[in-house]
Amino acid sequence: MTQKNRLQSGGRIDRSKPLTFTYNGKQYKGYQGDTLASAMLANGIDVIGRSFKYSRPRGIIAAGAEEPNAIMQLGATEATQVPNVRATQQELFNGLVSGATNGWPSVDTDVMGVLGKVGGNMMPPGFYYKTFMYPQSMWDTYESIIRKAAGLGRSPLENDPDMYDKVNQHCDVLVVGAGPAGLAAALTAARSGARVIIADEQSEFGGSLLSSKETLNGAPASEWVSFVVDELRGYDDVMMLPRSTVNGYHDHNFLTIHERRTDHIADRAPDGQVRQRMHRVRAKWVVLATGAHERPLVFANNDVPGCMVANAVSTYITRYGVVPGNDLVLMTTNDSGYQAALDWHDAGRRVAAVVDTRKNPSGDRVDAARKRGLNLITGSAVIEVQGSKRVSGVSVAPISADGKSVAGSVTKISADTVASSGGWSPVIHLSCHTGSRPVWNEEVVGFLPGPTVQKQLTAGAINGSYSTSKALAEGQQAALDAIAALGMKAAEVVLPQAVEVNEGQPMTLFHIPHLKSTAKAPKQFVDYQNDVTAAGIELACREGYESIEHVKRYTAMGFGTDQGKLGNINGMAVAASALNKTIPETGTTIFRPNYTPVTFGAIAGRDCGELFDPKRYTAMHKWHVENGAKFEDVGQWKRPWYFPKAGESMQDALNRECKATRESVGILDASTLGKIDIQGKDAREFLGRVYTNAWAKLAVGKCRYGLMCGEDGMVFDDGVTSCLGENHFVMTTTSGGAARVYEWLELYHQTEWPEMEVYFNTVTDHWATMTISGPNSRKLLQELTDYDVSKENLGFMDWREMQVAGVPARVFRISFTGELSFEINVQANYGLHVWEKLFEHGAKYNLTPYGTETMHILRAEKGFIIAGQDTDGSVHPYDLGMGWCVSPNKPFSFIGKRGMAREDCVRPNRKQLVGLKTLDPNVVLPEGAQGVLDPNAPIPMPMVGHITSSYWSANLGRSIAMGFVKGGLDKMGEKVFYPLADGRVIEAEICSPIFLDPKGERQNV
Amino acid sequence: MSDNVVVEEKPVDTVAIMNQLPGADIVGQSPLHHAELDALSKKGVRKGGVHLRENKLQAHLTLRCNPNNTEQLAAVVRVLDVALPLQPLTSVEKGDVSIRWISPDEWLIVVPGEKAFEVETRFREEMEGHHSLVNSSGGSTILELSGDNVVDMLKKSTPIDLHPKEFPVGKVVSTVFAKSSAIIRRTGDKRFELVIRRSFADYIWLWIQDASREFGLVIEA
Repeated sequence: MTQKNRLQSGGRIDRSKPLTFTYNGKQYKGYQGDTLASAMLANGIDVIGRSFKYSRPRGIIAAGAEEPNAIMQLGATEATQVPNVRATQQELFNGLVSGATNGWPSVDTDVMGVLGKVGGNMMPPGFYYKTFMYPQSMWDTYESIIRKAAGLGRSPLENDPDMYDKVNQHCDVLVVGAGPAGLAAALTAARSGARVIIADEQSEFGGSLLSSKETLNGAPASEWVSFVVDELRGYDDVMMLPRSTVNGYHDHNFLTIHERRTDHIADRAPDGQVRQRMHRVRAKWVVLATGAHERPLVFANNDVPGCMVANAVSTYITRYGVVPGNDLVLMTTNDSGYQAALDWHDAGRRVAAVVDTRKNPSGDRVDAARKRGLNLITGSAVIEVQGSKRVSGVSVAPISADGKSVAGSVTKISADTVASSGGWSPVIHLSCHTGSRPVWNEEVVGFLPGPTVQKQLTAGAINGSYSTSKALAEGQQAALDAIAALGMKAAEVVLPQAVEVNEGQPMTLFHIPHLKSTAKAPKQFVDYQNDVTAAGIELACREGYESIEHVKRYTAMGFGTDQGKLGNINGMAVAASALNKTIPETGTTIFRPNYTPVTFGAIAGRDCGELFDPKRYTAMHKWHVENGAKFEDVGQWKRPWYFPKAGESMQDALNRECKATRESVGILDASTLGKIDIQGKDAREFLGRVYTNAWAKLAVGKCRYGLMCGEDGMVFDDGVTSCLGENHFVMTTTSGGAARVYEWLELYHQTEWPEMEVYFNTVTDHWATMTISGPNSRKLLQELTDYDVSKENLGFMDWREMQVAGVPARVFRISFTGELSFEINVQANYGLHVWEKLFEHGAKYNLTPYGTETMHILRAEKGFIIAGQDTDGSVHPYDLGMGWCVSPNKPFSFIGKRGMAREDCVRPNRKQLVGLKTLDPNVVLPEGAQGVLDPNAPIPMPMVGHITSSYWSANLGRSIAMGFVKGGLDKMGEKVFYPLADGRVIEAEICSPIFLDPKGERQNV
Repeated sequence: MSDNVVVEEKPVDTVAIMNQLPGADIVGQSPLHHAELDALSKKGVRKGGVHLRENKLQAHLTLRCNPNNTEQLAAVVRVLDVALPLQPLTSVEKGDVSIRWISPDEWLIVVPGEKAFEVETRFREEMEGHHSLVNSSGGSTILELSGDNVVDMLKKSTPIDLHPKEFPVGKVVSTVFAKSSAIIRRTGDKRFELVIRRSFADYIWLWIQDASREFGLVIEA
């Protein structure tokens, strides 16, 4: 297909580099430098989608981020699918594959067309609002209709093969936008020695100058752009980011920039390159030079393909060498709109009419139009467009001076393109992100950035300063202000001379009148993407939605990816008129991040796959992997869960591990336990205050179990703490609780008891810890040490320093299994050495490695709790039957003492931890099962507590469980019933949680 | 017991220290032992924007003491022959001793691995008053990072400003590194040092490989 709308020369495209692209399965040609939109227009593609509610054919309206219609699905393969890409922002590359987001299977002959009308009728304005209010049961129906019709694109079904990342940046001045204002600001700041980042969403810097024929210093403006870009490139401390959208302006001058690094090159990023990068910028000062978007006018059938924003028409002609039609009608309320007609005419195509809503326009561009002999119709407006898939003509009529009514007879003019300009809307989105309310400015006929708490400056069109000379001057001034605030010395920058253009007064007009009332006239679109019409807004106002925020939610105006870039001001004007208020009285909705959609890839960065979350390993991890361990996540730790042998089920492995430990010796990697070194003359007293039990008399060389409670008296961690020296202790914590306990100690030391002489240091990672447990553990240990580890020399709850396998070690005789047990701690760099030596000597004892699951079973056989499994923040030590571990008579109070004495904590019938034996010993209760005393009670049954731990005990040949029962400690021998979801009711008897060796004879040997 | 017999009281050990190193025949395994960096340094790429070397098996000693106690400060000089850096976020280095400021009463001292016990013993002899010195040598390792793109790589990993004006040679910070943490010190224009925790070492090693991919990563022995 030929590029029928392509000019022979002109523009910033490279005609020597033709590119092929695919749209909806058909191949087309474009050139290097095109956007997808300009290439589509060059090829005469009119319809690029169907509208959200009414399924009306839609065409390209704009040329930048404000484009509401040309939202494409991109991607040559399933894995590279990208939804919701604006064709106006997507640079063309060879082999680009695109499709319409909506209107499947064909936007031209849409089977949804008929249905769409039905859908449209089903979705009057207020659909979203009413959906939320009406019965939930209808939501499924509504949702499927909305989703089908919405054209929200689709995400890929395969993994994205590309790489995305995040980079942290810092600068003195972040300049947002590289048009004349931004470039002047960046140049001034850079020359003054500031660290500058300048970002622009377009492929090259220059902003409005790229699509303008104006001159600077008498030369094409692009020459000055090149000069500035070259100079900026020479500074080490200047970072230039084209194809980078500043999407969010957050607190403390933290901004996020979405850089598209390879989206313009190919469907996939070249090997080793990052496709998109999120810059996380902390800027001392921000200069917003974000420009302005031209407002289209609201008139009947203004969405027929061929209706465009005037400036976009200029941009396609000037920058891309594309005239998007043959016969143009321009409607404008101001002088700047004329440029489209001038450029159209100069490109050699016919301008059917220039319709100016003003009676007596005057100005340089008006004169230029007259000089070219264009058909100028003043005091009139295009009140309606004819055509369906492309404009075929327009109805023009005189309008009243206030623009509110049609004031004469209608003339029909044939044309295929209608450009409209209702003036400009400053791009204040980023300023609004900071919570700043915009302020209406009569002169500018638009909202300007309001007062801000951020270190933010603005320059150029965002301030309503639309002339190039003003933009340049304001850009420079913003940089000078920033430089002064930074305490730096400003360097001189001589700004280029721009040609001043005389402009007449614009007319304040948004909504073009029609012969019929708004409700009866053909649809007049305000927000194209969300299919919001002027009639819809009027209806919302009639239904009583007077706040602009309510109007927005009722109509969906400015929702979604569009964020009201083209439509918001027009919509507010329509609402204001309907409510008989001024625009400032009506107010405005504000914008939230992100300015344009950001891909999930860029948000996730490298925090995915293997790097999603840190995995923590012990010094013996390699051995565990080599020996077939299955792993369990404990916090971020990867702990061996169990070590299955070939052919073993999990239960088989657990049975074997449990028996081997009780019958001979097992070994557990306990390195993940939190370890905190505590030193200072007040260390002992400090322990007494944070633990519930007494520490005053713990001798050097001794270990003691402790319970830790919050202020509320509820258990939050436990562990063994050992006295290493009179002023020196090492505390152990649960694996997952280490950081929390360490912070807890520091918190109390720093805020409550700073006078205490004590220092805490985390040594969790420093020590490798291996626990050998079982009747043969002493024999095994003795083989590896010269130290006498006999009962007499190393008693239960003692620790000693000794060499184990040639490595200095601290060996603690403590037990979490109820067996004779030794916890060997060595400097972690030697952990694997000692571990392997234990296995060399342990083979004859059938030394059996076990993981967390066997550890859980063995401790449950002994009724030992696991903080976080058998506790949940609502149980105090007495609830656990662990009153023996509370010393209420310590001279100084301890954390939780008062909490556990509260009325509710001492009342009868609290849930208490007990052992539970199922009547059928082969049935293992599910953890979490809720107990009832009467299984025949009507639902909802009164529940008495849940199962916290439940296992098959191979050593006991039956199931065992621990759980809470109301008043359970006084109900020994009584029955509890556990009705399960599958209909079974399991009967269990309350018993002591110590199922095995209640006298502790096995560990005291 | 008669009055003229003097009982010599053995001082009670208030703090337990021990030589934690075995004989030289037992070789320690650093936190990145499993990555076999030595082998990688021989077969990996020779050119790249980021260079990595593990400075392993050093002695890491955390000192907590009172920066206003001149006697304690003098004791440090007697033991290490260099004064504690009192200026926040700074470090000092002399001979084989380096000291990093960590917090107002906390410093990380690094000396050669075999000197840990000697330094711990000397501190006990020299330093009076409330303090603690904790050996954490097995719990961390040092990564030396250098190269033309070292800053680019680090910028992906930490929100700290690494510009030479803000982060000159000698500066040290304890901060976020990816989803873990690191003590980052600048040791040269394009040279940094990370002290990282053992259990997170593999994660950080994977992260650095990934973040260096576009620049090329050279492993040094």
